[in-house]
Order: sequence, then structure tokens, then C-alpha cells
Amino acid sequence: MLDRRAFLTAILAGPVMAALARPGHARATPVEDLMLNRLTFGATAATRRDLARLGPQAWLDAQLALPAHDPALDARLAAARLRIAYEAGDIDTGRWDAVDELRPLSALTADPASLLPLLDWSQAMDYAERSRPGEEVIAASLIRAVHAPAQLREVMTQFWHDHFNVHARKDEYVSVFFPAYDAGLRQHALGNFRALLGHVATSPSMLVYLTNDESRASPANENFARELLELHTLGAGVYWNDRYRDWRDVPGAGDGLAQGYIDDDVWEVARCFTGWTVGDGRWVAEGRTTPRTGRFAYVESWHDPYQKRVLGREFPAHAAPMADGNAVLDMLATHPATARFVCGKIARRLLQDDPDPALVGRLADLFLAQSGAADQIAQVIRALVADPAFAATPPSKLRRPFEFLAALLRATGAEVAAPDIGWHWQLSRAGWMQHCYPPPTGHPDRTEDWATGVVLLRLAEVALDAHEPWAEWVQGRLSDHLPEAPLSVRDMAAHWGQALVGVPLDGNVLAVAGVDPDWVPETAEDRAGISAAMVAAAALGPEFLFR
Amino acid sequence: MAEPILVVIFLRGGADSLSLIAPTADADYLAARPDTLRVLRDGDRPGLMLPPALADADFRLHPAAADLHDLFTARDLSLVHATGLRDVTRSHFDAEARIERGGAGGAAGGWLKRWVDAVRPGGPLPVLAVGASLPESLRGARGAAVAPALADLMLGPGNYWAPVLRARLAEGFGAHGPLQATVAEMLALSDLLQGRLWSGETDRVRDYQPAADYPGDSPLSQPLMTVAQAIKEGLGLRIATVDYGGWDTHDNQAEQFERLLGGLSRSLMAFWRDLGPHQQEVAVVVQSEFGRRLRSNDSGGTDHGRAGAMMVLGPQARGGRLLGRWPGLANHALEEGADLAVTTDYRDVLAEILSGHMGLADPGTVFPGLAPAPLGLYSNRT
Repeated sequence: MLDRRAFLTAILAGPVMAALARPGHARATPVEDLMLNRLTFGATAATRRDLARLGPQAWLDAQLALPAHDPALDARLAAARLRIAYEAGDIDTGRWDAVDELRPLSALTADPASLLPLLDWSQAMDYAERSRPGEEVIAASLIRAVHAPAQLREVMTQFWHDHFNVHARKDEYVSVFFPAYDAGLRQHALGNFRALLGHVATSPSMLVYLTNDESRASPANENFARELLELHTLGAGVYWNDRYRDWRDVPGAGDGLAQGYIDDDVWEVARCFTGWTVGDGRWVAEGRTTPRTGRFAYVESWHDPYQKRVLGREFPAHAAPMADGNAVLDMLATHPATARFVCGKIARRLLQDDPDPALVGRLADLFLAQSGAADQIAQVIRALVADPAFAATPPSKLRRPFEFLAALLRATGAEVAAPDIGWHWQLSRAGWMQHCYPPPTGHPDRTEDWATGVVLLRLAEVALDAHEPWAEWVQGRLSDHLPEAPLSVRDMAAHWGQALVGVPLDGNVLAVAGVDPDWVPETAEDRAGISAAMVAAAALGPEFLFR
Repeated sequence: MAEPILVVIFLRGGADSLSLIAPTADADYLAARPDTLRVLRDGDRPGLMLPPALADADFRLHPAAADLHDLFTARDLSLVHATGLRDVTRSHFDAEARIERGGAGGAAGGWLKRWVDAVRPGGPLPVLAVGASLPESLRGARGAAVAPALADLMLGPGNYWAPVLRARLAEGFGAHGPLQATVAEMLALSDLLQGRLWSGETDRVRDYQPAADYPGDSPLSQPLMTVAQAIKEGLGLRIATVDYGGWDTHDNQAEQFERLLGGLSRSLMAFWRDLGPHQQEVAVVVQSEFGRRLRSNDSGGTDHGRAGAMMVLGPQARGGRLLGRWPGLANHALEEGADLAVTTDYRDVLAEILSGHMGLADPGTVFPGLAPAPLGLYSNRT
């Protein structure tokens, strides 16, 4: 235990302390802080120490090397309990009793086939049971963001969730298959883009969300195909439908790889993915159903078998099973437009809203050159961080609501568990719908989309409420994280300022509410209340809001 | 009369105009879709008849739109068929962005932002985007507030520490200048609303008491109630935007469309009744990014199409008309042989509302390069 003097000495002499910019000073932010704020969900005392000990390069190498599973995190998830509660009810085939209990997040590690009974409509069951798997992923997402050692992998998993957006609460099917979708994104988050794309295009959650699961010849359902081109790979920037009426006119088409796409390509791609559906025992034809695997299924008889032309390339008729769709994914994953679009988004996520086009070009070249590498995405991130622009670019991105909450909880040392996901509703009022963003674009990623009055108001509430006793998702109270010695309000301001932004807060921060800086609050309740106000005040400063 | 107000309701996802205002007797329509994806002329739930106009196709409103039909019959509502973007795009993102930017030749910023720049409306709440984020049409607009409800525009009402956070926010944001003005406006509005809506007796925000019953099962009710409340509170509201999502009916369209349109119809009627005498100040325009494919797909739905429909509600010279030019659904009349063709530029409708209702002398400031071709919504108005 530290006495007050030692405590103050410790925070003032901290190795990171000297490097942190004071509010209002135009000093450059040290690269260590930039890394922690951009490549993790927010600095903690421990990650500051690790980075100082290892140095930026070794720390980044370590982050990129961490696997998708961590024993301590898995244990934490296994110990978490999420409430499920519903009234008694009945349908034609039976009835169910009321339930109100705490249950483990068992769907996260379940075999998808074992979850199929949730989609058996002949079984009497409340909606909360059927939609439970998606809720467990949502509950786990905050636990992971706050506690995962593989922070960069979590940051990129969230990035891919937005890039390949799926609305987990769209319906029961999407929800039931969502744990597998989430696990695959995490597994491939730093890996190979073609492998990641293959996971997405064969994920039941995505196929149901973008309604490809019922797409069959003919006419095909173009929903998935259009978003695959526009949002997942080539990008809207090369959707040239108003420029070219004939596929032959699109630059590159004559050489077998058009540089952009038109609606003819969307329709052809849709034909390529007919028959890509879900193994949930659904009806295919008289006497035939898809296998009950809970995974991807290909239905040959739904596939449009005839010749196709995508981006100027001819696809022969009667190709092998899934060959049409896989050939499309191969083309898209190695297309220069995809490289620019995806690398531009990565740079926007990890660096700034409008990254230098030359930097994006360099990343895209690497992305293409390493398209066969198992660590293709990690290499792009490594190059981005190594680029002089990374250290030279001051913090300009506003933390989005989920990132704000996660960073806040990391900074205060909170323990996140699951009994309740009230935070999800709170964040949705600020425009952040964790895993539930309805349109396929995913959450926007430009500061101007979030720098509005209402978002700031909601962030203020999130910060004030995060450690309230009714916020059950946070275990314990803020006062638990204070040194046990008697602390004045001024000491507490120093502590919480250090924890959140690396410098002490002004001791008079609560003066406007009539709190004397020299008062030494003695009850845990007072210490918690004072702390909550200070944490909120620090979190609403530019040093914490921007990364 | 108070200053005129415009409410823009955007049906996100591409609403099927051929189910909304259906050419029920058109042979090509009958041939292209199964019964479940068409409005019918007879049976249990026939379409709601519209006066003969545009073409001899027995145009009818979808049976879920009974309230819209009443508003139409009362001459408060006009319908415009075959409207949309001149640019051929079937991407949600691209079509919405182009429509909301409202510019031929790549005009920058949103069309409503340009209106704000041209008019510079005063008052504490001139522009309100109901929801959690600012639509593209208002991107960059000064003084635009974003919130699901007025109570959401207050800083920690009732919270003991709110003054601390208020002081913190008022200090500013250092190098992050753009946030500064936003925050100053937000704090001023928060203070004003606290004074109006906070009840010290109950220690909570006073509930809004609407003058009409809004349907509880429609997601459009709460947002429209927020708009009505803002109008009645006299906060200087001039522009409100409301998003209504879910219209991307690639599958199971019959059931989804019925629910969505029923919600639109009933919520809009409740809003209109709730406004009472304020109806005279308000124009509502309803639009979507595009219509849907004439031929249905094999999933019980329809894919992205081209021309949509627009609706204009509010005092007009000659409301209760079906306007536009009907291109027909014969194969040669379709765009790329697939979709209802766009014959009316959506900007013509918006520009006419700006001049005829909002009193903007030169809509060219909002829609640069547009050669005005008014439909006559306000033709007899002086």
C-alpha cells in the first residue's frame, strides 16, 4: 500500500508521465500513446508499462503474434453469466414457463449444429431463447474489448464487424449463427483477406442477413452480390453504372479485369452465388433438405449453371460446385480496387479520417503483393504503424461510443462481466448499435459523423453512469480502485487524471458543484461519487476523447 | 402565420413504388409479379381507388394505406409517381448520397445544408434530425441538432454532477476547434429545454401530451411525436428530418411492406391530427432512394429498381392529385428492360416545396443547375 506522499511521487514520476502532453499544450503526442490509443481499446497502467518495457516495435510484434484464444480471457468468458428473463407463454404446440436466471455464455463455444433446435418452430420457446446466441456475443464483446490481452486483434475484429456488417438482431437465424460469425472474424482478423472473405461469404449469419440463403435461379436475389462488391471489396468508388452502359466500355474489361463495375456485374455475381445457403435442414425440393450442420451448405439444384461474365472475365457454363462463387471471391480479393478500398479503411480506422492517398497506395501495393500471405493483414498494419505518418499525425479521431466506453473502463481498472447488457441500450442512444447496426454499411468511421452535440451528451451520461451500482455490467465500485490511504478530493483528482489521460486533474474540478478540494471523503459512497464525477470530467476532455 | 416548416421523411432501403401506388390494371404489372406482390383490384383487400390520372391503369393505393387515402381524399396529400435520380444507380449508399446531396454536377454538402446556408434561420432549434445521426442532406449544417427526442438534448437532467460536466464542456476542446461551436449550441439548447421540459416537482422530464393517438406499433410514431412537440414548443423549428428504415424487401416482401406502409400511414395521420392548427405551417415530403424491380425475384421479394414515388402532405393549392408522367411498364419503356423509368426528377418536387411552401425565392441556390419544371403543387397559391 502506498501512503499519500509515495502515491503522489509515484504518479508524478511515472515513466510515461513526462511524455504526455498537458491539456492546452501543442506538444507532439509520443508514439507510445498514439499506439495505445489507436491499436488498443485504450491505455491501461499495465499496457503503458508493457510498451515502455518492450519498446514500440517489440510491443507491436507481440500484439500481432497473440492468438485468437487466450486462456485467461476464455476463463473470464466461461465465468461470465448473462441474465435471461421472460414470461410464461404458449403456442399451438405447447407452452413454456417463465424464466429469470443467470446463464453462462455457452453459445460462444457451442457447435452450431447444437443450436439448431432454437430454430425449430414446432418447439414452444420464447423469443429470448431463440435469439440468445447473438446476445451472448454482444455481452462478450465488451468483456473482450476491456480485458483481452490481444487488443489489436480485438480492435481489428471490431473493424471487420463494421466492414462486413451483420445485424445480429435482424432475426433468429442471424442470431443463432452469430457466434460462429464472430469467431471467424476474430480468427482471420490479422490474417489473409481472401480467407477472411471466404469465411464471410460462407457464414450463415451473413447469408441470412443479406438474404442470399434463399437466392436461387432464377432470377437470383442480388442483395448479397451488390454489397459484396460495394461494401466488402471493390467499394462504391468504382461503381461506374452512370458512366458506362456497356461492359465492354469499362476500362480493363477488354483485358479480362475491369477496373470498376456496373449493374451487369452485380447481376452476374448474384448468379454466381445462387445456391449458397445454410445447412439448417431447410427444404430444397420434394424429399430433400439441406444437412443439419448449422454451417454453410451449397445446393446445386438452386445454382444457375450457365455461362457468366464478371468484370469482363468469362465464366464457363456448368462449373464445379461453388466454383463460380469462389472464382468471384478470388478475383475480388486480389483486385487493385479492393486493395485501395480496404487499406484506405484500415488507415482511416487506425490513423485519420483522410489518410494521405500516397500512403494508402503504398499499403495497397503491399496488400496485393502479399495477397497469398497468411499474415497479409498484419503486414499492412505493420507498414502503417512503421510509416512516418503514424507518429507524425496528431490525435484527430473522436472515440466512437463503444470505444469510449471500453477505454473508460480500461482506464479505471473496471472488471466487466455480463449479467446485464444495459450498456448496449445506452450506446444505441448515441448511434452505436453494437453488432446490431441495421444497414450493411456498418457504423460510420469519420469524426464528423460522431462529433455532434447529442453524441457528446450521451457520452457524458455513459461516463457518469458507468460505475453506478445499477450498471451491473461493471463489477465493484470506482472507489475500489483508489489507494486505501485517506485521500483528499485533490488527491483523487490527481489519481483519476493520471488514470485517464496520464496527467493529474485540477483539484478544483468539482468546485462548481461545491466540493472543497481539501475535503477528505471517508465513506466508500462519497469516494465513489466523487470519483465518478472526476472520471466523467476527465473523459470529456480532448485528451481522452481524441485518439 | 409562423414561419413555414419542412419535414422530410426518408424511407431507407428503397420502397416499392409499384406496391405503394399500383397500376393494378396494367397487363405488364400483372404478368411480372405474383398476386402476393401486387395490389389487387378485387378480393378481400382490394387497393384503394385513386381518381383517373396519368394513365388508364387503375392506379390504387396499397390497402394498408387507408389513412394516406383519407389524407389524399381530403386534398392534403399529393402523390408523385415515377420520380427519382436521373443518374442510373441501384446502390443504396450511392443513391441516398446523391439524393441527399441534391446536386447535379457533384454539388458539395447536403441540399438541406444549402437551404440553411441560404436562409440562416434563427431560433434555438431551427434544424432537428430525429434519430441518432445526422443525415447526409444536413451534413455540415450549422445549428443542426440530432436527437431521438427533445429530452435527449439535455445534459444530465437531474444529475447532481451535471454542472461539473457543463463546466468541463464549456472549457472547449483545444486543437479540436470544430467541436467548439457544436458544444456551445448544445449547451444553450440544453439550458433552454431544461427550463421548458424539466419538472422540479417530479424531478423528471415532463412527458409530451399529444393531441392525437399515435399507433404504438409503428417505429415512426415516436420520431413524429418529437417533431410535433418541437413545433408546438415554438423553438423556431424550420427543418426536421426523420428516417424510416426497413424497406429493402429482397425477400418476404408482402408481409414486410404491409407492416411498413401501415406504420407510415397511421403514424403520419396521427402526426397530422396532432398538429391541429399548426398544419398550416407544415409541409411533409416522403421519399426513398429508389423503387424496386418490376419482376420479383425467387425469394418472395424484389431487388433494387429505379423510379420511386414521392408524397407531399400539407396545405397545397390543389392537393389530392396523382402527379408525374407515367412511362408504362412495357419492356421497351423500362430502364434497361428491368425497372420503372424515372420521368420526374426528385429535385423538381423538392424545389417546388422550397419555393411554394418555404418561400425561398431562388431554389437554384439549393439545387444548382436545375432547370425548374414545377408540377403545380402550389400553382394557384399567391
